[in-house]
Amino acid sequence: MPSATLLGQALISGVLAGGMYGLLALGLSLSWGLLRLVNLSHFALAFLAAYLTYELGTTYHVAPWWAAAMIVPVMFLIGIAQHWLFDKFKVNELASLLITFSFAVILEVAIQLYWTADYRRFETHYSTMSIKAGPFYIPVLELALCMVAGVLAWGTWLWLRKTYVGKALRAAAEDADIAAAYGVDHKKLAYLLSGMGAAYAAIAGTFIALIATLAPTQIWAWLGVVFAVVIIGRLGNPLGALLAGMLIGASESIAMAVFEPAWAPVVSFSVLIAILLWDPEWL
Amino acid sequence: MNDRMGAWRRRHVLGGFIGLAALGAPAILRAAPSGQPVKVGGTLSLTGFLAQTAVIHKIAAEIMIEDINSRNGFLGRPVEYVLLDDQSKPDVARSLYEKLITVDKVDLIMGPYATAPILAAMGVAQRYGKVMIQSSMGIPNLQTYDMAFPATPFGPEPDKTYPNVILDAMASLPTPPKSMVIVTSKFPSAQFMAKGMRIEAEKRGVKVPLYLEYEAGNRDFGAIAARVKEANADFLWVGSLGLESNQLLEALRKLDYTPKTSFHLYPAPGPLALSPDGNLVWCSTFLEPDEPFMSRPGMKKIAELYKERATKANLPYAIIDAQAAGMVAAWQILEAGVNGAKTLEDKQIAAWLKKNVVTTVYGPTKFDGLYNHGEPAQLIRQVQDKQWKVVWPKQFVAPGVKLIPT
Amino acid sequence: MADLLSVENLSAGYGRAVVLSDVAFRLGEGEALAVLGRNGVGKTTLLDTLVGVTRRFTGSIALGGREVGTLAPETRAGLGVGWVPQERNIFRSLSVQENLTAVARPGPWTLDRVFRLFPRLKERRQQSGASLSGGEQQMLAIGRALATNPRLLLLDEPTEGLAPIIVQELLAALTRLLREEKLAAIIVEQHAQKILPITDRALILERGRIVHQSDSAALLADPMPLERFLGVTGR
Repeated sequence: MPSATLLGQALISGVLAGGMYGLLALGLSLSWGLLRLVNLSHFALAFLAAYLTYELGTTYHVAPWWAAAMIVPVMFLIGIAQHWLFDKFKVNELASLLITFSFAVILEVAIQLYWTADYRRFETHYSTMSIKAGPFYIPVLELALCMVAGVLAWGTWLWLRKTYVGKALRAAAEDADIAAAYGVDHKKLAYLLSGMGAAYAAIAGTFIALIATLAPTQIWAWLGVVFAVVIIGRLGNPLGALLAGMLIGASESIAMAVFEPAWAPVVSFSVLIAILLWDPEWL
Repeated sequence: MNDRMGAWRRRHVLGGFIGLAALGAPAILRAAPSGQPVKVGGTLSLTGFLAQTAVIHKIAAEIMIEDINSRNGFLGRPVEYVLLDDQSKPDVARSLYEKLITVDKVDLIMGPYATAPILAAMGVAQRYGKVMIQSSMGIPNLQTYDMAFPATPFGPEPDKTYPNVILDAMASLPTPPKSMVIVTSKFPSAQFMAKGMRIEAEKRGVKVPLYLEYEAGNRDFGAIAARVKEANADFLWVGSLGLESNQLLEALRKLDYTPKTSFHLYPAPGPLALSPDGNLVWCSTFLEPDEPFMSRPGMKKIAELYKERATKANLPYAIIDAQAAGMVAAWQILEAGVNGAKTLEDKQIAAWLKKNVVTTVYGPTKFDGLYNHGEPAQLIRQVQDKQWKVVWPKQFVAPGVKLIPT
Repeated sequence: MADLLSVENLSAGYGRAVVLSDVAFRLGEGEALAVLGRNGVGKTTLLDTLVGVTRRFTGSIALGGREVGTLAPETRAGLGVGWVPQERNIFRSLSVQENLTAVARPGPWTLDRVFRLFPRLKERRQQSGASLSGGEQQMLAIGRALATNPRLLLLDEPTEGLAPIIVQELLAALTRLLREEKLAAIIVEQHAQKILPITDRALILERGRIVHQSDSAALLADPMPLERFLGVTGR
């Protein structure tokens, strides 16, 4: 039986690692839930942002937060441009899956052409910093990520609930035609939301650059688990996405600490299936 | 206006297709001697998850073809490498080798990189009776085809021999480690070695209190690190690929824990050597650009060329190591086999290789043992001042270098 | 007085099917119009065409003198077309209050005023749209249309399928809207007797064409056309 320290540490690591799942799930959940577009290129955009953070940091010695300040607006515009294509070709849910998959593949090739297929690692002194709390260690970077993800998820949740635009978006997500008949300009809002989704990908990307290993094929490494997180967290629910991310992260970590690390990849889908079978009211 | 836009669009789409076709077309690399070129067909995983290492093999192969053609080619004819991209997929490798042999009618073949594509290609080679030299299969007993030859000296049973090399090195330390934690990827060649390590360690009285396997592509090492820290053994053995070692060591440092001594199986060499966590860690190797290896014939020039090309290709680690050297050795063996047997007939080349000793960058290489393997020569290197130095066994250690205990 | 709504030569339908042909009528400011007819004669299609969710083939729709027939539904809504669809189509995932505020536009119809008209909605303001009864959903659908502060309210069978006691409550609210507030409205109904008393004028549709137009009071006084086209007696 593992010790309490080991379990506690695994829980901390897992919840914090789950923050990354949640952050990646955020933009995906918004576009899937509110625009009915499944944006697979979300992962590729996040990695593009990660590579840009890496490039700015290693070649030009730009601090990651300044890099993010530069990359996020650019990604916002890319998100809008991407939606322009969706709008122009009247892309539906299924077609969006195929089209954004192609986007992602193209981005993967482009990243490989410029940065090669080799592993890249953005070494910063933050990457191994941690705070000691009793017998536990809390990694600083992951903590920062979770705080950023928390602020974004909470802010987006409030925005969707409290503002006119947010409520209109939710109304349009439920029934776009009826919402339009009540004066909701769904198209304009969709552009805004697409931009936001891409901007969130950029923020996730900055943290990916600091925390993870960069390789073009890594774009696909997060796909399965983040999809599970989006579904468990309920489509279009930002707080749900973050909490589901942390739940999955913690479950994976506990499984690795108590049983076999090799079980970790099975955990996210087991949790997903268990929750779908349980079918709780909040899902 | 509409028509002009249409034409413009069509032209661009067409341009795109031509570009794609060019990407997909075989990269033909040719040079000097005279006469009809000898076509050697092969695939590498130029895209997909193995791409980061395949590019190293591609550079090494290009250097070797120029090198061979600057001498006498194959039997006085120039050598042409018909290289296709197997996309890191064994089934693609299988059909491409089929195509190379039946459609492109290549004279000879060269093996791909990594165990799975190698096994796929080996099946095709066996069906058509082609000699296949491969540089990177870490599980020798899978090489069951009698005309397949290994270029890298794993020896027939590396899971038994190499753990003992590590245990010998451990025993040479001032305070020999008495316990060992083994953490390994489930990637077959790593898992194979980890299992052997556990058995051999226990045989020699080194306790293994913790043995963990993680899935290839594991994202978070936090929980694994917590278990390694809790087990707190004298020695950490990591069956890693790519950047997994960096990730694990970083996760350990976040827990304020540095393993006393650690060994890493197949990590990406550059990032580990340069990482602040990498100082004095051990790793497997077959060769480093140092003595006694640099005195082997042709090695200096190849090492220089490699550094130049790899830098130009924007590779972060531009120093020749076992990956690139494996491909170099593979071409040296093929060259020796063709020119030694004086024929392009696969059967005769194979027969010649089994009877003779070929001198490659790995030294004198024989193919007379189990699974066509010769003597094992897997070594240990250590990061010293952000550089890899061979530190064990002693006969391969450069003058002035020694294993630094931690 | 200038017409609020002027419809000329209108034909419309879904896909290729023509449901309405050559429809023409006018509606003044503050007037209420009852649209009567049997099932499937095009009553709902007429409202849908005014909202902009059907396919219009020919004809014009002028709202306050401005042609709106070519405009998108969201633009028409912005110009003052408020719609209460037959299916109610409230946003089930939004709360009652969110249903009202998500589409609200500034004007005399504030949230408070909608709640005064339908006190039940105020009681249930935090509940989700999905949890409402049929009558409450209808109130919410009307309240939601009012919250957009329309110049013209379009009601599609507002009492359909509701319990008599709820129908009474709704009709009382509608009477207040049309008679006291003088809100211009078009009400589609099958049961003429319910709405003729609270409307100014009425038209009867038969196979997509207008077959009768008159004052509501005249139709109440002489129910012959009702008997002829609706098959009902003016009980």
